[in-house]
Amino acid sequence: MAEIWRLRGRRGWAAALFIAVGLGAALAQAGSTTQIFDPKTHKWINYDRKKARQYYAAHGQVPDAFRRQIVPFRTAEKPGTIIIDGNQHFLYLVLPGLKAVRYGIGVGREGFGWAGIVRVGRTAEWPTWTPPAEMVARDPNAAKYANGMPGGPDNPLGARALYLYQGDQDTIYRIHGTPEPWTIGLDVSSGCIRMNNDDIVDLHSQVQVGAKVVVLMQGAALYKGV
Amino acid sequence: MKALWQSVCTVAVLSGGLLQAAAADLVVAAPSWPSGQASANIMKVALEKSLGIKVDVQDMGTLIAFTGLDTGAVDVYPEVWRPNFDTLVQRYVTDKGTIHLSPRNVPATQGLCVTKKTYDEFGVRDVADLKDPAKAKVFDTDGDGKGEMWIGATGWLSTDVERVRAKSYGYDATMTLLEMPEEVGMSAVDAAAATDKPIVFYCYSPHHVFQLHEIKQLSEPAFDPAKWKIVLQADDPMWLSKSEAPVAWKPSSFSVAYAAALQKRLPQVAKFLDNIDFSTDEVTAMSYALEVERQDPAEYAKQWVSTHEDRIKAWLR
Repeated sequence: MAEIWRLRGRRGWAAALFIAVGLGAALAQAGSTTQIFDPKTHKWINYDRKKARQYYAAHGQVPDAFRRQIVPFRTAEKPGTIIIDGNQHFLYLVLPGLKAVRYGIGVGREGFGWAGIVRVGRTAEWPTWTPPAEMVARDPNAAKYANGMPGGPDNPLGARALYLYQGDQDTIYRIHGTPEPWTIGLDVSSGCIRMNNDDIVDLHSQVQVGAKVVVLMQGAALYKGV
Repeated sequence: MKALWQSVCTVAVLSGGLLQAAAADLVVAAPSWPSGQASANIMKVALEKSLGIKVDVQDMGTLIAFTGLDTGAVDVYPEVWRPNFDTLVQRYVTDKGTIHLSPRNVPATQGLCVTKKTYDEFGVRDVADLKDPAKAKVFDTDGDGKGEMWIGATGWLSTDVERVRAKSYGYDATMTLLEMPEEVGMSAVDAAAATDKPIVFYCYSPHHVFQLHEIKQLSEPAFDPAKWKIVLQADDPMWLSKSEAPVAWKPSSFSVAYAAALQKRLPQVAKFLDNIDFSTDEVTAMSYALEVERQDPAEYAKQWVSTHEDRIKAWLR
């Protein structure tokens, strides 16, 4: 499976690594600095590609800030709502009592591309992935899956996918997992939000179809089209 | 034959109206926003409990409510915002005299706000600070060196005015102005507050955000009618270049309105409505209870009335 993604080139490879660990925007924001939140000092620390590599190699997981945790979150949005902050690489699932589950996320190399209010139109376990037409045309490995790659441990959408709808219309944007972080380099994915498989399984288990999803306007490519 | 049908239909419509009117002694129109829903229900509960009359609360916006107040289909409307609806006030209150506006009002504001953290630690305290590239940069989330700020939803009259104000003050050169639904703007404030990130945004009060977070409004030069020249987007494609507003918004407020005929038909009710004196903090609390705590407006009103008996008694005097 890895061959498909290896063709993405150096940039794609790097994106694969960091998106997988919730740091995609480190690359998405070329020229700007990604920061991670240190809950101990309550400060934001500059976090670059090198540090991310070192951290992941040393710890085998992402920094504290990007791990799933329950945080105080004062909002008027009702429990069950998802709020996506692409700039800070956090996805919040609103809980009762002014709290939220906060997950680390990666956004596509080209950013999310839009902001606004959508809803979870449907969800899938071990979803099928269909490469977009331009990727099929360009990449013979992707062409093998022109009619869809069945769900499973190698599928780039990972263990679960939440399909985002506007009204009854599929927006083509998804919140999805990732099975093997290092194999992902989808530049088709502007608009998609990636989470570690454990996290997407956890989120999927708590989210109802119809749940409101608020995508904030902050973040690199989020401004496109705003 | 056609004429007969018309008259039959007219009778049916009239009977429907009469039946509806007979069901209630008083119809209170409730606007969709939370404080309007809460205050309409408080009026219903307080009047039914104190005067033993039957009150209906019906959802409707300001324009339809004013038509209803004028024709007699509606008796009360709890929040008439000014100067936003000054033209309706002029037509029905001043010129026609069919609608009465309470002499009391709740002061309201609009402008630009920051979290207390932004105010204290990033030193953004006045609208002029946004013109300072170094200060504006703390709001940069896309690495282009300019800050970003939510100025309201597309289609709001205030959003166009905020764009004019940004141009007039000059911070349109240092800040990117974003138009989004209010929920997106407010969720961005929630996310910034949760992570101690600085944020600046268009705000209006009373609003639950002031109870949800520690919020400070940026200072700016006071409203000056001589400097306030707003051409609306709907009226002129060159609206932005023709507009100037380098000053604060005109202070605004809202008041209770009721059908003038009520002063004869139910004078005690009219007196009660004239005496209602909600404070800004009380209206913010109503908004918070319904919008954040998701309390049912009718239940909230029952609770409010039972814990504010002295206020209700004073309004009846």
